[in-house]
Amino acid sequence: MKKLTQRQIFDYLFNNGIENFVGVPDSTMKYFIDQGLKRKKILITTREEEAIGIASGFALSKSNSLVFMQNAGFANSISTITSLVQLYEIPLVFFIGWRGYLKKDAPEHMKIGKIQPNLLKILDLPSKIITDKNWKVSCNWALKKLANHESSALIIRRLFCD
Amino acid sequence: MIRKEAIRLISKEIVGDVIVSANGYISRDLFEVNDKPTNFYMIGSMGLASSIGLGLALQNPKKMIYVFDGDGNILMNLGSLTTISKLKPKNFIHIIFDNSSHESTGGQPTSTNKISIDAIAKAVNFKVFRCNSKKNLDETFKKIKNISGPIIILMKISKSEKISKRVSLPPKKIKSRFMKSLQS
Repeated sequence: MKKLTQRQIFDYLFNNGIENFVGVPDSTMKYFIDQGLKRKKILITTREEEAIGIASGFALSKSNSLVFMQNAGFANSISTITSLVQLYEIPLVFFIGWRGYLKKDAPEHMKIGKIQPNLLKILDLPSKIITDKNWKVSCNWALKKLANHESSALIIRRLFCD
Repeated sequence: MIRKEAIRLISKEIVGDVIVSANGYISRDLFEVNDKPTNFYMIGSMGLASSIGLGLALQNPKKMIYVFDGDGNILMNLGSLTTISKLKPKNFIHIIFDNSSHESTGGQPTSTNKISIDAIAKAVNFKVFRCNSKKNLDETFKKIKNISGPIIILMKISKSEKISKRVSLPPKKIKSRFMKSLQS
């Protein structure tokens, strides 16, 4: 995704009610995170589950939160999603990188990249792939879910292999 | 002192403020001895009490946030201590009930009889107190009234024989009454 789009996504979500951005960085979304760092709105945690815990504390205080992570971190987070986010119905927006989307990517990205869509499906976590073209519609979809007290995930594909 | 007694004594001191209690026997004991809407009972998401408490502390600066944690729980999320320390919430009091065991899964040992959680907490700039009796618990509660967080109280407890009943409230009810209590 283009640098500019990533920055626009951050600003759009921030200007439309997301007050907290908590997570573990991913190079796939580094300009999104950079935009948040510039605005002093990013909280980087040691692990993804920790980020979800903190964001849940925010959400229980009625403060809208987004949790960002790599898909490796998404895999780490599955129990926290089922036994905290879904168990108590705590509304959050997940922003998840999709490493291993390309057929040629680093070996450690391949397996998780392959199973990621199915993981989202069996978790019953509604998700949309966010792109340069549909970013505003996708953001509005996630914001609407949040307004209805529902969690959702925006997936950002890794379209490069460096 | 057993955990349930320690939880009874400490929760009695906390009126109108928030308690986040870790999953396992800690939530069960708290539910049995002092149930109130300002308690957020975790029944899953092992290890995350300190993180949920941090989120609450940052958003509710006028309330004190008490985290009731276990040694097994905090060992799973030691990284959270560095995040809390970086943000320095003044209203964050983290009480670790330490019996050096994973009691709710059969009493398997943790490493806290060989390592020092208080030294780890001090290394990341928490104000740390260590207790093992009603007397020094009372003294500690007097002291912390005049200092700001983040604070860790390491409460050494012994293993219990009796198990408290499960938290019988549905998770959504735990959440809704808790959220309502935050607004008041």
